[in-house]
Amino acid sequence: MASIDAISRGLMLDSLKEYAKRRIPYDLLRELDEKNEFPADILKEMYDPEILGVHLLMIPEEYGGVSGGTYDIYRVCEQLARIDLGIATGVFATFLGTDPLNVGGTEEQKEKWLTRIAKEKLLVAYGATEPDAGSDLVNLRTRAEHVVKNGKIVGYRVTGNKQWISNGGVADLYTILAMAPGGPSWFLVEKGMEGFSPNKHEDKHGIRLSNTAGLSLDNVYVPAENLIGMEEGKGLLQAQAVFGYTRLMVAAFGLGAGTEALEQAVRYSQQRIQAGTPLSEKQGYTHKLIVPHACRLEAARSYIEYTAGRLDGGEHGLQTEGAIAKYTATEGGNRMAEDAVQALGGYGYTKDFPVEKIKRDIKITCIYEGTSEIMEMTIYRGRWQEHLKTRGRYYLDQADQLDALHAQVPGVGAHAAALALRALGAIMEECRVQKLTRHQHVTFKLGRLIADAEVAACFARAAAQQKYGETVRFDKDAWQAMARVFAREAALSTAVQGLALVLGAADQAGNLADAMNLEAVQAEQKGNVADMDLVAAKLKQTFKAK
Amino acid sequence: MNIAVLIKQVPDSTEVKINPETGTLIRAGVPSILNPYDHYALEAALELKRKHNFKVTVVSMGPPQAKAVVQLALALGADEGVLLSDMAFAGSDTWATSYALAKGIKKLGKMDIIFAGMQAIDGDTAQTGPAVAQQLGIPQITFCEHVEVDGRRILARKQIDGGHELLEARPSVLITMIMGKDWAPKHPSFPAVHASLKKPFHVWSAADVGAEAQYLGLKGSPTQVNKIYPPPQREKAAMFSGSGQQGVEKILEVLKAEHFIGE
Repeated sequence: MASIDAISRGLMLDSLKEYAKRRIPYDLLRELDEKNEFPADILKEMYDPEILGVHLLMIPEEYGGVSGGTYDIYRVCEQLARIDLGIATGVFATFLGTDPLNVGGTEEQKEKWLTRIAKEKLLVAYGATEPDAGSDLVNLRTRAEHVVKNGKIVGYRVTGNKQWISNGGVADLYTILAMAPGGPSWFLVEKGMEGFSPNKHEDKHGIRLSNTAGLSLDNVYVPAENLIGMEEGKGLLQAQAVFGYTRLMVAAFGLGAGTEALEQAVRYSQQRIQAGTPLSEKQGYTHKLIVPHACRLEAARSYIEYTAGRLDGGEHGLQTEGAIAKYTATEGGNRMAEDAVQALGGYGYTKDFPVEKIKRDIKITCIYEGTSEIMEMTIYRGRWQEHLKTRGRYYLDQADQLDALHAQVPGVGAHAAALALRALGAIMEECRVQKLTRHQHVTFKLGRLIADAEVAACFARAAAQQKYGETVRFDKDAWQAMARVFAREAALSTAVQGLALVLGAADQAGNLADAMNLEAVQAEQKGNVADMDLVAAKLKQTFKAK
Repeated sequence: MNIAVLIKQVPDSTEVKINPETGTLIRAGVPSILNPYDHYALEAALELKRKHNFKVTVVSMGPPQAKAVVQLALALGADEGVLLSDMAFAGSDTWATSYALAKGIKKLGKMDIIFAGMQAIDGDTAQTGPAVAQQLGIPQITFCEHVEVDGRRILARKQIDGGHELLEARPSVLITMIMGKDWAPKHPSFPAVHASLKKPFHVWSAADVGAEAQYLGLKGSPTQVNKIYPPPQREKAAMFSGSGQQGVEKILEVLKAEHFIGE
């Protein structure tokens, strides 16, 4: 996929920031949040090619778009999430709804529909989920029956119900997944088609600026040319093909909203004086509520960028990587938001401060586009296959590479990451030998350990680079310290939790403790408090009190 | 008419801090922006382009990363962009800078109006625009807030103490702009940014514009920065409490003690 040059991307991000500053102040967000109201005028302005044209990022140049790559879309999604996750979700739904067309549409369909989406500022919705089919789309109940005229299929009659559809009540165009005689297929359904009606706007915990509604399709006539790809049965493949990519966008949401919460907490902590000194000076505060989350978010960033780079480099799928990115960034962001409320104390618990809203909003990122538990399962499945295929070498080989990196660039957590990977390899092997993956709990927990160890390795590699990417707002000392803190934590939690997992499911743990090199994991923890001190100081310097 | 706009990339001054030990600006991590006065001047030029279909060319001088402000101007509607970028320019003061800019403008051909912001928010000298006029040997009108064109007449409204002054000029003239209220600085849409990549954009070296080394950089600069330092922090105010009468007496006492008033 093509990408935008750094200067153009920077200008686009600046324009988005400026627009939000001018048009969407916190008071307005708060009011819309309270009223549970979708700001249609703002979304239309954001889609206006004279004002922003943010949806054009998803549309190739030949159809009137600006051909954004995965990295560009990640950056814009992160920025949108920093503004408001509800608005971000409204934009994302258009991205998502456009995806089946981008992936599976014929040339004529792309020409017609992508051009219309670009020019007519169409809000799009993605209609996959049903009351009884979430991540298990095979249970799809919505049906599409042939309409035959003179022996030729001229259209379909679509009947069924969709649920939790973002932009459901406000979209102009819907991509609807339905079971056709030839299998699951995507259909383009326009607002106002006879028999098609959105249900009520849901009253949600967060992202209340995002319109969410169910859809009723009662014998809706859809012309045959609206079958995406003009071929039945490709729907699930088309949906699966983009998961690596769409989950990366949600990962960017978790990162953006989490980073916003982090910055607000860090700025606040310098102003709030307790017992004579600001909270930002107290380890009991920073090392619990701030620093670990900051390290996790930066780790997630490195993994998102790594995955975006691979997708932009032409790789396809990357479902496991997309899941690791989403899982780490959204869970990390969610925990940051939770602790940002804690960090602001009583103020954080009021609606006068945006962290209260961020905390409610960000939770959805752990749910939509596949819950965190579906991510754990996906991650486990993907890597378990690798473990078996390589006869247990998958993580051991990576650990060797990380140790080699450590020899070249010490101080980026590469050795700790190697310890995490080795421990992980040993745990997975023990699980294989003792057949422990018959327990679903073991498989999901492995998913979590895999994510931590792989992200630690990725962060160490990124921190070892000579020159950092445009998103890194910390100097080398700070970013390397963050990579060390995260890798130590990954090594320790992989070893301890992995051991507990095996001990809890098996009769005995064999020599797992030796294989994991627990002693080295312990020794590696040295210096962690000093590193956290450094990170706390740098955070304060980077996000000064206003 | 042909219009040139002189623009500069500056650090966002709301985020700049001075290192108290070295006396230099801490620029690391500080975002760069288009100098706000130049942004206003650019909007004034683009307004004339909309009304009269003039051609607008932006000219900047700076390191390679200053391409960003030139591209921003193109995305906002300028027709052509020039960045003067060369190690030979480094360290130039306002006079050496105006020499280089004038050389760049001459290479572009005759300009009927040259706009510049009244000053840059990093150096605050307000010299570069006027010095370019001097280098080119053309008249200048400074501190304007609005410019109209009627045929060959260029009408500038200038802010003066307690009122406005209306001035008229014929091409060529250089006009520096304050930040008026007639145009709000705009930001380009995504497709406008994308389309700006197709507009002509030149990066010119000193040799490209025929600028001679002796007039450039530190060597060609009659002024040099001696020291930059933050203003000394104000001492803490003394606070007194008590009734109004007591307060007045206390303040009188202090003023006398500090010899602000006599006994």
